[in-house]
Amino acid sequence: MSEAVLSVENLSAETLDGRPLLDDISFSIERGRTLALVGESGSGKTLSALSVVRLLPEAIRLRAGGVHFRGRDLLALPAYRMGGVRGRGIGFVFQEPMTAMNPVKTVGDQVLEGVRLNGDLRGAAARRRVRELLEQVGLDAERVFGAGPHELSGGMRQRAVIAMALSGGPELLIADEPTTALDVTTEAQVLRLIKSLQRELGMTMLFISHDLSVVSNVADEVVVMREGRVVDRGDVRGFFKRQRHAYTMELRRAIPGLATCDKRLFDGGDVAEDMPARASADADDGAPLLSVKDLRVEFPVRGGLFRRVIDRVRAVDGASFELRKGRTLALVGESGSGKTSVAKALLRLVGVADGEIQFAGMDVPSLKGDDLKAYRRHVQAVFQDPFSSLNPKRTIGRALTEGMRVHGVAEDDEAMRELAVKLLADVGMEADALSRYPHEFSGGQRQRICIARALSLSPQLMVCDEPTSALDVLVQAQILDLFKGMQRRLGLSYLFISHDLSAVAHIADDVAVMHEGRIVEYGGVERVLREPRDEYTQSLLAAVPQLRED
Amino acid sequence: MPVVLVTDLLFYVLIAALVVGVVNLRRSPEALRPWRKLAASRTAMLSAVVMLAYVAVALLDSLHFRPRLDDVEGEPRYAGEVVSVLDVMLGRLRDKDEKTYSAPLAAYAYVKELQTAGGEVRQEYPRLKHGGAHLDDPGDRAGDIVATAATGLLKGLVVAAAFALLLCGVLMRVKRRSFGAALAEVTPFCGAHEHRAVAWGAVVGAVALIAMTVGVLGELSLKYHVLGTDKVGQDVLYQAIKSIRTAVLIGTLTTLIMLPLALALGVAAGYFLGWVDDVVQYVYTTLNAVPGILLIAAAILMINVHMDRHQDSFNDIIERTDIRLFFLCLILGVTSWSGLCRLLRAETLKIRSFDYIAAARVLGVGHFAVLRRHVLPNVTHVVLITIALDFSGLVLAEAVLSYIGIGVDPVMHSWGNMINVARLEMAREPVVWWSLGAALVFMFVLVLCANLFADALRDALDPRMEKT
Repeated sequence: MSEAVLSVENLSAETLDGRPLLDDISFSIERGRTLALVGESGSGKTLSALSVVRLLPEAIRLRAGGVHFRGRDLLALPAYRMGGVRGRGIGFVFQEPMTAMNPVKTVGDQVLEGVRLNGDLRGAAARRRVRELLEQVGLDAERVFGAGPHELSGGMRQRAVIAMALSGGPELLIADEPTTALDVTTEAQVLRLIKSLQRELGMTMLFISHDLSVVSNVADEVVVMREGRVVDRGDVRGFFKRQRHAYTMELRRAIPGLATCDKRLFDGGDVAEDMPARASADADDGAPLLSVKDLRVEFPVRGGLFRRVIDRVRAVDGASFELRKGRTLALVGESGSGKTSVAKALLRLVGVADGEIQFAGMDVPSLKGDDLKAYRRHVQAVFQDPFSSLNPKRTIGRALTEGMRVHGVAEDDEAMRELAVKLLADVGMEADALSRYPHEFSGGQRQRICIARALSLSPQLMVCDEPTSALDVLVQAQILDLFKGMQRRLGLSYLFISHDLSAVAHIADDVAVMHEGRIVEYGGVERVLREPRDEYTQSLLAAVPQLRED
Repeated sequence: MPVVLVTDLLFYVLIAALVVGVVNLRRSPEALRPWRKLAASRTAMLSAVVMLAYVAVALLDSLHFRPRLDDVEGEPRYAGEVVSVLDVMLGRLRDKDEKTYSAPLAAYAYVKELQTAGGEVRQEYPRLKHGGAHLDDPGDRAGDIVATAATGLLKGLVVAAAFALLLCGVLMRVKRRSFGAALAEVTPFCGAHEHRAVAWGAVVGAVALIAMTVGVLGELSLKYHVLGTDKVGQDVLYQAIKSIRTAVLIGTLTTLIMLPLALALGVAAGYFLGWVDDVVQYVYTTLNAVPGILLIAAAILMINVHMDRHQDSFNDIIERTDIRLFFLCLILGVTSWSGLCRLLRAETLKIRSFDYIAAARVLGVGHFAVLRRHVLPNVTHVVLITIALDFSGLVLAEAVLSYIGIGVDPVMHSWGNMINVARLEMAREPVVWWSLGAALVFMFVLVLCANLFADALRDALDPRMEKT
C-alpha cells in the first residue's frame, strides 16, 4: 500500500453562530487514486474540499481536525505558504465554467497567469507552456489562446479551467462537480479527459459529485456524505452491488431508468399498486389528444436603425408528434435543441411561425379570447426552477387559487380554500402551507406546490419543462413518483421535456429526440433507447453515464 | 376662513396616501418584514423622527386661512392676507422686525446710524427694537443668553423625559413589559449590543434632541433674534423655518408627479417589450438628451410670462407663488422620471423571465392582472429606494435652481432664495453670514437625515442585501 497523498482527519466545521456543518469527516487518498465524495446538496461535500485548500467562506470556521498533504499539516501552515500549495500542489476545478473565468481577459492570459505564478517560466517559454497545456486538454491552442471566455462553449471553457488547474503541475486535483453544468455529450468528453489526464500525469484526484453513475465510472473509492457526516465508504468495486448503508441503498434505488418504470423510486422499490406500467408502443386508444405537425417557432433578430427585424432564428424547425390521453411523451435534447420553445408554443407563450397544433379539436395557434381561456383550462405547465416559479410576495394559498378565480372554478372563497387544501393533500403537503410564503419551503416542496397549482384547473395535458433538473436525486425520485401516481389517478397526459435520459426512460411511453430544432428520432421509449436508429440519438445514449455495479 | 392652495391639496393627498399605505401594510406580514428590519435600525429611526419633525412643520405651514378681523353687521370680515397655522404659532418671530441687519443674538444693530443723543448727532450702533430690548444694560447680555438657553434646555429635557415615560407606559401596556425593561428599552445610547425589535432608544434620543433644540431656540427667540435679521430686518430663523415647507413640498410633490409616469411607462416597456418598449425608450432617451436645466428654465419663464399677462386671475401674492411652486414640482417631475423609469424597465425585464409570470399566463391571468399581482409587488423596493434617494437630491436641486433664479418665486421663503440673497451679503464688509449659515444648517440636517434613511431603507428592502 502506497502512502496517502491527502489525508483528512476528524474534520469538523461550523457557522460562526455554532451550527455544525461538518461533523468528524475523515478520508485519505493514496497516490494516483481517485476518491469520490458523493451526496446531495447541503451534505458538506464542497465544504470538505474547500477546507482542504483553506478557502472556506468567512462565515464558517473549522472546529477540529487535521488536513495532511504529502505529510505536511496544511492547517498549521502560515497563510502565505498556502499560496504555494494551491496551484503547485493542489489544483482546483470548479462546477460552473461560466463564472470560473474572468470575462474580460483572454483564455491564454488566464492560463498564463497560472503558469507564471506556479513556475519559473517567463516570456516566450511561458507562452509555449500555455499552448502545451491547452493542447493537452484537447483545445486548439492557436484559436483559443487569444479568445475571450465568451467565445468558448461550456465544454471548452471547462477544458480551459482544467488547463488552469494543471498549470502548476499539481499532484492532487480537486474536481468539484466538474460536469454538472454541462450537456450530456460534453459531460462524457470532459470526464474522459479528466481520467486520461490523471493517468498521464499520475495525479491523485478528489472528485465531488451528486451523481452515482458518474462516480461509479470515475472513482476508485467512494465516500457517501449526508448532512455533514460520512455515512458510508468503500472501494468502488462492487460498491453498488453489495448490501450497504440504508442511505446508499436509498440513493441507489432513486436512480431512474428503463427497468424502473413500474416501480417507486423512493420509499421502497417493490411494484407499488399506484405505478402504472408503460403503455405498449403500438397501443391505439383512439384519436390523439394533442397532435403537432411541422411546427416552426422563430425568434426575430433585431438590429440597425429603429431595430428592424433583420433576421430570424429558427428555434423549432418542423417538429411533428402526437400524444394520446393518459400517456407520456418525452421531448429529449441538449440545451439549445428547441425543446423549451416547443413547450412555449404549446402553452401559447410564444407565437407559432408555421405548422399545426391540434388539441382535442381546437386549432391552438389561432385561439383567441374565450376559446384561448378554455384551452388554458385543459393545458397546464410545471417549470424547471422551483425558486422562480412562485411569486415571493404572495402566499401559497393565493398562488393556488389564482387560476380558480380566473376560470370561476369554485363559487366562493371557502370552496376555493377547500379545493386548495385538497390539491395540497394530492401532492403530499399539509394544509397549513396555504398561509405561508414560498421562501419557507425547500425546492422539492416548491415543485410540489407548482404541480398543485397546475392541477388547480384539472387539466388534461401537463407540459413539464425539465421539472426535476434542479432537484437532488432523492427529491427527483419523489417528484417522478408523484407524476406517475397522478397519471394513474387522474388520467393525465404529460409532455415531459428533459435532457436527462434516465428520467425519461423511467417516466415516458414515447420519446422524441430533438436536435437543432428538428425531431431526429421518434418512437416508443423502449425501442428508441434500446435500438436507436439515428446517429445523434446513438451518440447521446452512448454519452449517458451508466451505473457500474461490478 | 380656510384657504386651500394647490400644493396644500396635493400635500394632503400625499399624507393621506401615506397613512393608507401604512394601514394596508399592517395587514400583510410578508410586506411588513423589511419594515421591521428598518424599525430595528437606530440610524433609520433617528433620521425618520427628524424627517417627521420637518414634515410636521411643513404640514402646519400648509394649513392656510384668512384671519377673521371683525363682524360687520353680522357678516364676518376677513383679512386680505393669507396666513398658516405655523405663522400663528411663530407669531412673535413674524412680527418683531428690525430696521435692517443685526447679528445673531445681538442687542445692537449691525450698521451704524445717525443718532441724536442730548442734542449731539453721532454715528453709532443703535439698540435693536426687539433683540435684547429687555436688558437695561446690554453688557449683561452673555449671562442672560446662557441663563435663557439653560431654561430652554431644561424645558426641552422635561418634554423629552415626559415623552420617554409616556412611551414606557405604552410599552408596558401593549407589550406587557415590566417598568425596568421598558425603561431600558427607551433609554437612548444604552444597551448598544442588544438587538431590539424597534429602536425606541433612538426615537427617544431624536425626540430629546429636537425638544432641546426647540426649547433653546424658542426660549431665546422670545428675547433675541437667534439667527439675526436680514436686510429688511426680518428674523432669519423665521425665514429658515418657513423654508421647510418649500423644501419638503418640492421633495415629495415632485415624486408624486414623476411616480405614475415612471411606473406606468417603465413597467409597460419592460413587460410588453416590442413597440411599447421602443416608444418609451425613445421618449426617455430624447428627453435625457435635452439638458434638464434648460427645460426647467424655459418652463418657469413661460409660467412667469403667463402670470404677468393674466394678472387679474392671480390676485393674491400667495396664490402666485404657490402656482409657481407647483409648476416647479411639475417640471422637475417631468425631467426626472427617466432614471426611475429605466430602473423599473430593467427590473421588470428580469421579473418577466421568471417562471411565475409564465405560470400565471398559462393559468389564463390577463396581462394587467399579471402586472398588478406579480410585477408591481416585486418592483416596489426599487420605487421606495429611488424615492428616498431622490428626495435629498430634489431638496438640493431647489436650492440650486432658486440660486440661479429659475426656482421658486423670489418672494417665497426658501433656502435657495436665502442663499441667493446671501450672494451679495457675502460681498459686504463686514460680512453678513447668518442667512447663508442658517439655510445651510437647516438644509444639511434634512438632507443628511434623508440620505441616512435612504441607505437604511435600501439595506432593508434590497433583496440582494438579504444574503449577506
